Amino acid sequence: MTAPAKILTADWDKPESWKLSTYGKYEALKKALKMEPQAIVDEVVKSNLRGRGGAGFPTGMKWNFVRKETSFPKYLVVNADEGEPGTFKDREILLRSPHMFVEGLIIGCYAIDCHLTYVYCRGEFRESAMKRLQDAVDEAYEAGYLGKNILKSKFDLEAHVVYGAGAYICGEETALLESLEGRKGYPRLKPPFPANAGGGLFKQPTAVNNVETLANLPPIIGMGGEEYSKLGLTPKNGGTRLFAVSGHVKKPGVYEAPMGITFKDLLEQYAGGMREGSTLKAIIPGGSSSAIMTAEEAVWASDFDTLKTKKTMAGSGAVVYLDQSVNMAHALANVMRFYAHESCGQCTPCREGTAWLSRLLDKIVAGNGEKVDVDNVHQIARQMEMKTICALADGAAMPAKSYIEKFRADFDALVRG
Amino acid sequence: MRAAMIPLATRAGAVESPFNAEQQRRFDEGFEKAVARYPAERRKAALLAVLHLAQDELGWLSEPAMAYVGHRLDVPPVRVREVATFYTMYRLRPVGRQVIGVCNSISCWSMGSEKILHHCEKRLGIRHGETTRDGHFSLEEVACLAACGGAPAVLVNNFTFHENVTPESMDALIDKLRGDPGKPMAPGPTPRIPLHSVEDQATPQGPKALGGAEGSLGRPAVSTAVEAGSTEKKP
Repeated sequence: MTAPAKILTADWDKPESWKLSTYGKYEALKKALKMEPQAIVDEVVKSNLRGRGGAGFPTGMKWNFVRKETSFPKYLVVNADEGEPGTFKDREILLRSPHMFVEGLIIGCYAIDCHLTYVYCRGEFRESAMKRLQDAVDEAYEAGYLGKNILKSKFDLEAHVVYGAGAYICGEETALLESLEGRKGYPRLKPPFPANAGGGLFKQPTAVNNVETLANLPPIIGMGGEEYSKLGLTPKNGGTRLFAVSGHVKKPGVYEAPMGITFKDLLEQYAGGMREGSTLKAIIPGGSSSAIMTAEEAVWASDFDTLKTKKTMAGSGAVVYLDQSVNMAHALANVMRFYAHESCGQCTPCREGTAWLSRLLDKIVAGNGEKVDVDNVHQIARQMEMKTICALADGAAMPAKSYIEKFRADFDALVRG
Repeated sequence: MRAAMIPLATRAGAVESPFNAEQQRRFDEGFEKAVARYPAERRKAALLAVLHLAQDELGWLSEPAMAYVGHRLDVPPVRVREVATFYTMYRLRPVGRQVIGVCNSISCWSMGSEKILHHCEKRLGIRHGETTRDGHFSLEEVACLAACGGAPAVLVNNFTFHENVTPESMDALIDKLRGDPGKPMAPGPTPRIPLHSVEDQATPQGPKALGGAEGSLGRPAVSTAVEAGSTEKKP
């Protein structure tokens, strides 16, 4: 195996990696500002950059949607409301290389002709990751990378860092926009999509991008889209990706690996294998909303398209390795308690479904369940899918179905009949 | 227009500021900054930030505080309440001056967050969702903190992260926090205080609410080795 490319994490181990003096002089921004905005978007299309927040939507395509709109102003909103259980990569970016993200943010705004941008951090980050980011933004203003007439290009950009108040649902892009506008985080009915007039921030065309997605912009501009795309191991999934590895592994942490690396390689080559005395039992491949994988399925590639054909998802790149000590019914009960708590309550199938599933699973793990309860969990989960405004219900149903389908014995061991 | 709205959260009449002079100065300063982030005609969008400002000063969001925030931003009281009740970081009644939140989501759970939570319960003599009688500590469960690499993770006072927590490091943290008086909490209704000893928790009978405390204190009977926690709803 060749040495893994370090693109996003290149500076992470340097002392004071979050300072402008360590990061350098925004060379990619200088190059970008000499290009036509459309040429930047074309480069991003070529790079096969897929949104790193969870959906894996092609970033270049999203930006082309926004560019086609004729309504101004246009906005770029950054989703830094990291909250999917298992995910902790954006926090690391903000703590360790905020300038890479800020540079990508400026390039993104230039590409879609946006002059006012908001970074929406989760509230808990206020005194830590968000402070780092705010310092980086301040440094960028001082150095003339933000503000009026950036590097004498006649491009103006104002960037604001704002924060939420603790709601998982605000990681959903339209709920995030609602929250940013000062309301409770109820996802909006789509269409109109945020990229279209009427659907975005203050009803204007808006690109909502994840922190990691934008942090990829400087390397894409630097090396060119095609070169960047080749870093990925599978077609249509360009670049490297930050995998947030947690659970029963020797070295949990954020690792940069090529898109499409197998879960086995990620575990063995990066995370140091399972901890002493552990054997791998299950893998959560992309945050707790994704369908569970068994140990045998660790050979699957981790890109968006492969996992979609396998009926799970690459999601936010949060990989949780669980060992033999975990009873999957208990794990599902834990996951479901989260969704029951975080369901915003707008759609009935989700509000009632998640709470019902959680009650049933609590009953099962307390030893009071019957076989029919397990069947009911599966049945209810199926009834919840594709019936709600946002994907939270699907995110709760996917684990519920898959845990039972793949680890039925764990459930049966706890129930009567 | 505003006068026609029913000021649900206030006594009839003028909306008074809940702050003293020093608090008012800090609040006003933060208010100007928060509002300046948005286009002039969109200043209501600063509602979340302004509620945070009020809570920073008072420790929790009292009805007069919410009414005052609504008044300053020209947002109807019902909209302010809607937001304040939706987000978990806003406190709707006083809590301890040191609030310990133990993450209960999947990565932390798999690394033994329940043990940490029980350790805290025993150490502090309260269950999660409660406040010690002296008003110093509150204990709560929190949802994923995006610190899964350092599981189990603990959040203190909404903003401070502690990672790779063990029972020993938790003891050290509790001792440190015990010596820290924390920010004063504006007066208000009594926080949820313990009505039973924590050792009783294996036999939950759900004592009826006494005094000012509310809600069911019983927890589901759990007989298995890995005890299930519960995600606490807001009071």
